[in-house]
Amino acid sequence: MEADNTSVPMKILVGLLFLFLLAPVILVVPISFSGEQILSFPPESWSLRWYAALADNPKMISAFWTSLMLGAIVTFISLAVAIPAAYVIVRMRTYGSTFLYNLFTAPLLLPTIVLGLAILIVFASMGFLGTFTGLIIGHLVITLPYALRVLATTLGNLNLACEEAASTLGGRPLTVFRRVTLPMMAPGIVAATALCFLVSFDEVVITLFLTGPRLTTLPVELFHHVESRADPLVASVSVLLILLTLAVVMIVDRTVGLSKTFVK
Amino acid sequence: MIPAAAERPLENAMMHQTIRSGSPTLSDDRDVHLRLDGLTKRYGDSVAVAALDLAVPKGELVALLGPSGCGKTTTLRMVAGLITPTDGRIVVGGHDITVMPTYRRDMGLVFQSYALFPHMSVAKNVAFGLEMRSVPKPEIERRVKEALAMVRLEALAERKPRELSGGQQQRVALARALVIRPSILLLDEPLSNLDAKLRDEMRNEIRDIQQSLGITAVFVTHDQVEALSMCDKVVVMRGGKLEQVGTPVDVYEHPETPFVASFVGRTNRLEGVAEGDGRVTIGTMEVRVPGRPGGKVEIMVRPHRMRLVEAGAGEDAPTEGTNRLAGRLTRVTFIGDLLQYHVDVGGTEIVVEAASDHGRGFRKVGTPVAVLWRVEDTMVFGRSA
Amino acid sequence: MTALAAPTAPAMPRLALGRTGTAIALLLPIALINAIGFIVPVLNLARMSFNEALAGGGVREAFTLANWTGLFGDSFYVELILNSITVSLGITLATLVVSYPIALYLHRSSGRWRTFLTVLVISPLLTSAVVRTYGWIALLADQGPIVSGIAAMGLTPPRLMFNTTGVVIGLTEILMPYMILSLLAGFGRLDPRVEEAAMTLGAPPAKTFWRVILPLTLPGIALGCLLCFVLAVSSFITPKLLGGGRVFLLATEIYDQAIVTLNWPLAATLSMLVLIIFGAALTAYARVLRAID
Repeated sequence: MEADNTSVPMKILVGLLFLFLLAPVILVVPISFSGEQILSFPPESWSLRWYAALADNPKMISAFWTSLMLGAIVTFISLAVAIPAAYVIVRMRTYGSTFLYNLFTAPLLLPTIVLGLAILIVFASMGFLGTFTGLIIGHLVITLPYALRVLATTLGNLNLACEEAASTLGGRPLTVFRRVTLPMMAPGIVAATALCFLVSFDEVVITLFLTGPRLTTLPVELFHHVESRADPLVASVSVLLILLTLAVVMIVDRTVGLSKTFVK
Repeated sequence: MIPAAAERPLENAMMHQTIRSGSPTLSDDRDVHLRLDGLTKRYGDSVAVAALDLAVPKGELVALLGPSGCGKTTTLRMVAGLITPTDGRIVVGGHDITVMPTYRRDMGLVFQSYALFPHMSVAKNVAFGLEMRSVPKPEIERRVKEALAMVRLEALAERKPRELSGGQQQRVALARALVIRPSILLLDEPLSNLDAKLRDEMRNEIRDIQQSLGITAVFVTHDQVEALSMCDKVVVMRGGKLEQVGTPVDVYEHPETPFVASFVGRTNRLEGVAEGDGRVTIGTMEVRVPGRPGGKVEIMVRPHRMRLVEAGAGEDAPTEGTNRLAGRLTRVTFIGDLLQYHVDVGGTEIVVEAASDHGRGFRKVGTPVAVLWRVEDTMVFGRSA
Repeated sequence: MTALAAPTAPAMPRLALGRTGTAIALLLPIALINAIGFIVPVLNLARMSFNEALAGGGVREAFTLANWTGLFGDSFYVELILNSITVSLGITLATLVVSYPIALYLHRSSGRWRTFLTVLVISPLLTSAVVRTYGWIALLADQGPIVSGIAAMGLTPPRLMFNTTGVVIGLTEILMPYMILSLLAGFGRLDPRVEEAAMTLGAPPAKTFWRVILPLTLPGIALGCLLCFVLAVSSFITPKLLGGGRVFLLATEIYDQAIVTLNWPLAATLSMLVLIIFGAALTAYARVLRAID
């Protein structure tokens, strides 16, 4: 169970370091209930005014819906594209699989600032700047590698014999994929869905390069807001975002179990 | 052609559809259901299966027996269509199915790991093959019940595989393969993951079911007890090649090579020089063997065909037709049903087995003893080195 | 912050797929997106660094080294580059120091407690960089708890916002999960029995740590440092927000040149520089790994 052989000073040290690790995320919660006009801690008064202010902030609300829709669409496309790709890469007979896998997960190796700039320049000449389509493609570039990684690992760990058994029982390749492979991949698919959605929803750097005056996502809107002034409004948004993330994590835990997904 | 069975019109229709689209009939022996002609599988420079020829009559249970890496599983998977042969042909009921895809072959395969679909219930697992053949729902239900009853698992129809024990999963796998009434049943070491007691039970059950259905079956195993006890014919394989084909008694009593002799059953081995008249000199000793071999030979005798006596006892007066070697007792091992005597005979260790008898028969290590056996129980093989 | 620990290809059992045509068709969508969104843009970016920037934000197709020479000739940029590297190294070291104890403790725990702690470590990664940085703004601001707390004790509080100090503190914490996970991955070689052996041979805890534990965990340390260094050197959100426009690092400069000044060739050149620094870090890492074994 616990690391019983750890000394007490060590336990205290680790506890303090954990506090350091989680401090900002924890602090955001009380600040969101601040009654003050400016950001201060501890606040002189408490109130729900900053949550109410959210409801009155059309920019934030529309940015939220954009992020939500974007996340949903990007997640759906990521799965539709990555599942076949993972199947080919993992089940393919030639040895190009490793190369293709590395090529398609390579975008994760690049810093988002470089990737964002690169995409900005190309999209400018293609007319994708400030468009919803451009945002979708920009997000897909980084969600696809994540989805591919999770799905390829899941597929690689499946018992091949089950697919072979289905084949000997008369199942044609497509039927086997639909009735046996996909259902067995379910935990991986759920994990990939959650991952893609959260990555897209939280994405800010690449999105900064691709948004325009009339199109913005929630993280980008928050960024501009913090850039100009730091008030507790951001805290209330942050709390809601944290709750959203927690909800997604809970759903993953309920359906497939966290230990299986994250502790690999 | 394919023998018609009036009570199974649907399956025959399916089989006609699938196999008919193969190449034309190459028939000779009506009785042969499965034939392998020069079946070969090469991976780069290494050969997994080398020009295997085999003919399996209808309704027979054939064991592919051999150590790991001998090509038995590769052969089975080629018959199932999961591996494409490099060369040779696979003929079922007169039809060449060598290049036919797996899902059209009408064979049932029981995997070593059972390979049950984890997301489906036991009943749905068994129903899968029938669904693939577009069998109408009420009939599917009836036949699934039938199949589960055959393996005595009707009560667990709605459970998921992970809730079942190893033995139960194995029976579901068997039911799933048999419910489609395949022309050939293939089993890939189905008993290796079970514990000893369960293995004995399942061996008999599988054999009984196979015989009652009259279905041709090929059974892969590395366990000679399984091969000998269950099967009509044993095919001993080594290094991708066929060493010997025969009934269990044939293979056990008349092995054609030293490998078969030592793989199927325990043996003692001695090296000597044959004089050409039935005598063989082993160092300073001499024994008699059946026939009149000449040159360098290997002698093999099974431990339970030998008898151990005290060197100086009266019963050791030599009789015609009995071989006798003198030696020293080096160890006595008690394994419950047997007593194993390890004897040093001129530098070579011989093991003599005797049935245990209430703790009697323990002799002192170091005692001078004699090993006796009948001449006719001696197996002789030529030796190159 | 997209790169997690270096990915390895998963185990791949093979199954006959049939025609190559099907395979190509199934790979087409991802290949297309990869080409439009990754390969073409990155190649184009490299090409852009050799283009000529026109006054007022235009770009002329050319092949000039002016951007590169201009970079190394300008003391502002030289200082920017050196600053970025040194600050990132400092952040990496700091992150290592604060992450190591947590990783060690996590490694020694097991069962539900360990799963819980691991989820706790990973959870900050699932929130947006903006949220986490904002949390630090709240902590480090003049009206925040730290500054007020120090002032309350009667000392003159240091300025923790809009300067490099704040950026270092914030970025150190933000990178901790990456370091912890890398260390944990590298801790695989650390068998508790090795520690026990050292102790039975008479080594006091401190000596056991320096002579046994630390050397065995070097691969994990190397990996974590590589990861954190590259993330720090290319970090944008935190320096931009915590620095308030007064901290100049590579990433902030790339953004300003691209969006504000519209000098794309220069921004591209700076980006290429970031990649070059990446390459250098990777080479150093490979060398360290070879030296360890």
